[in-house]
Amino acid sequence: MFRLQGSKVLAVDMTGDAVKAKNGSMVAYDGQMSFRKLSGGGEGLRGMVTRRLTGEQMTVMEVKGHGTCWFADRASEINLVALHGDKLYVEAGNFLAADAGLRTGTEFTGLRGASQGNGLFTTSIEGHGQAAIMSDGPAVVLRVSARYPLTVDPGAYVAHQGNLRQSFQSGVTFRTMLGEGGGEAFQIRFEGDGLVYVQPSERNTIAGDV
Amino acid sequence: MSVVHHDPSTLPVDDNVNPYTFCVELAGSQWFLQKGKMIAYYGAIEFNGIGHGRLDRLVRTSFHSPLHASDWVVAEGSGKMLLADRAFDVNSFDLEDGNLTVRSGNLLAFQPSLSLKQSIVPGFLTLIGTGKFVAASNGPVVFMEPPLRVDPQALVGWADCPSPCHHYDHGYMTGVLGGLRALTGLGGASGEEHQFEFVGAGTVLLQSSEALLPEQPAGGTPHEPGVPGGGAHGAPGAPPGAPRLPGQLGDLQRRFGL
Repeated sequence: MFRLQGSKVLAVDMTGDAVKAKNGSMVAYDGQMSFRKLSGGGEGLRGMVTRRLTGEQMTVMEVKGHGTCWFADRASEINLVALHGDKLYVEAGNFLAADAGLRTGTEFTGLRGASQGNGLFTTSIEGHGQAAIMSDGPAVVLRVSARYPLTVDPGAYVAHQGNLRQSFQSGVTFRTMLGEGGGEAFQIRFEGDGLVYVQPSERNTIAGDV
Repeated sequence: MSVVHHDPSTLPVDDNVNPYTFCVELAGSQWFLQKGKMIAYYGAIEFNGIGHGRLDRLVRTSFHSPLHASDWVVAEGSGKMLLADRAFDVNSFDLEDGNLTVRSGNLLAFQPSLSLKQSIVPGFLTLIGTGKFVAASNGPVVFMEPPLRVDPQALVGWADCPSPCHHYDHGYMTGVLGGLRALTGLGGASGEEHQFEFVGAGTVLLQSSEALLPEQPAGGTPHEPGVPGGGAHGAPGAPPGAPRLPGQLGDLQRRFGL
């Protein structure tokens, strides 16, 4: 059972079940808990090799026991995501915790990742359960539907879920080269049906510098 | 706790989505924004640097600071656009035939019905006219009535105030001890010996923290005599008049009351 205590601390009530969480993000617990580091994101040898190869490093631990465990990381805002058989895509750096029953993996994202400066791969979480992701400032959840495609700044993008197609838009013109660009030279366009999480802050990206 | 999922029909019109995110509705209209503050948008919106030929008329009517035009873009089109700035608090303000001066780093976006000018006070920008603008602050904004003295780091801006000036506590200015204290911080400097003073009718905007937002270049000023920050008086800090003689302490002398 995931619940937020304030907006920056995640409390997980456990009765013998387990969660996967970012290594070192436990701030307190009561009851009986055991912590075990999962190599390669708990995805077995294959996952370990994939993560090493793709650079989508994620150090996670498995927390198991009876009681309540609290998680937090650098006072980041925490957002809860409920998964009902769909897939959540999140950068490894924004991942905080997920039910142990959820499958995690590595996926190719293409140019979006490159424009953010955090690699061509992202982490996917799939199954039935809850996950917690972090953002700089509370994330705004935007629904994408056939009628309403969405365009997002790569620096503000945190995660997305559902059945979405993403395409990379570049507005780089000769004006950008002259220093008269629109300041939003790279954008990601989402189409299909799903949710996109954006944070009210832009990390430094290649796009931010153009 | 259920999470709110927004789409264009539930997003507010020209209002805050949460304390850190602001939503602007464009319907064939235009907004000026600081580069890189858009985080997401629905619809068809185009971002163009100012100085783009087509927007020349707009620059003439509502943009009077050619020297930092490259930091601003014009958003044009129809749809809903979300603005945010490094997870700071954002707020919108309405001006009705008024004027407001704001620290350049705090201003995020404004309607072209307002005109933007550089303030005489370096590092500040003045908005004149009628319309809406969006500003960021570290912590919520507090509105105060003059006369009052404010901490320089907490000042966001002011509206209709005729006399922003510096104020120093008397003990900080005079005497050997005062001078020593100010120079070294020894002997109990409270860190609050210098303030900005506002008198007259108007409103002063303060942020509820003393963490400054990173300064945004407000553009240079013309290098002319009489222009503050113009630097036409030779090297800053050089005393006017006779060159300093050996053995003379100059500013220090005055500071220590000698």
